Amino acid sequence: MVTILGGCSFGRTIYITGLDSKVFDNLKSYSQPSLANRWLATLVTSNGRVVIELADLKNRKRIFLPGINTLDSEPISVSISANGDKLAFLRKRNDLVELILYRRRTGSLQRLRLNSNGVPSRVTVDGSGRVLAVQVFRNGKSEIDLIRL
Amino acid sequence: MSLKIFALIAIFGLSACSQTDSLSDKFIQNDQQDPALSGNGRKIALIIFRNGQKTVELRELNTGKVLPLRHLTRHRPHSSPALSWSGRYVAVIAHSTNTPRIIIEDRLKGRLHPLFLGGNRLPRRISLSPDGLKLAIQLGDIDRGRIKIIDLSRKLDPDQAFQGRDFVLK
Repeated sequence: MVTILGGCSFGRTIYITGLDSKVFDNLKSYSQPSLANRWLATLVTSNGRVVIELADLKNRKRIFLPGINTLDSEPISVSISANGDKLAFLRKRNDLVELILYRRRTGSLQRLRLNSNGVPSRVTVDGSGRVLAVQVFRNGKSEIDLIRL
Repeated sequence: MSLKIFALIAIFGLSACSQTDSLSDKFIQNDQQDPALSGNGRKIALIIFRNGQKTVELRELNTGKVLPLRHLTRHRPHSSPALSWSGRYVAVIAHSTNTPRIIIEDRLKGRLHPLFLGGNRLPRRISLSPDGLKLAIQLGDIDRGRIKIIDLSRKLDPDQAFQGRDFVLK
């Protein structure tokens, strides 16, 4: 028994409470969480529409992201840098999937190019916001593209 | 060029200064899925197929060197890997039992931390904070569409390498 449990740690799981009423809306569906220490970026589905939402977990409120959600596009993946400044996301627009970097500091959107044809399906950004890893379906298999900014 | 067009280009510029590499060029694998970068951008966790099972693999980004995971291999198949700032903590959803569960390997201390969600909650995706002290969980099944945050500060030490400061819009 000691051998089986060796190196393991058990204990009660502690949920951070009080977020449901302020950060989350019970009528919406949340997916693909990306957690920085203070920030939580998610995809949110409501009335058939998908948008990106950002929550400030410290102050327990949602953060407005001007220009990031548009009526002619649908986000499919999102990731946030450690300090909450940069959000990398994929969105479907005009039957194409675009890779976008959003900087909250300037409110700017930057479209990034992938190295060759393929359909991106997931993006993750490192904590510093300088490296992106993108899962791309290309030539019949899944590959990971790295983008250094 | 009118100011309006100039502003549009400034706001939505095409990238001219980013460099793209394909990981497949460096590391020969048939399929690579579900990438997760460490906070410092030096390591990557991804899901590969090993002996027909989805398995998390941790690599150094610059050299491609595979880093050992002492405990996680026993709990395959895996999904949704997540890393702390330095890659000290590697979290995955393990599907080795009837119900998926979250396990975290502390690479520094060589310890395994299984998490018990309680209430028949089933994890679908996870994300670990850079300091390793919080975990966001997207739940499935009857809790589909819900996200819960777990406080790990009584279970794990902070990833000391993380010394970041939050960006707060003034």
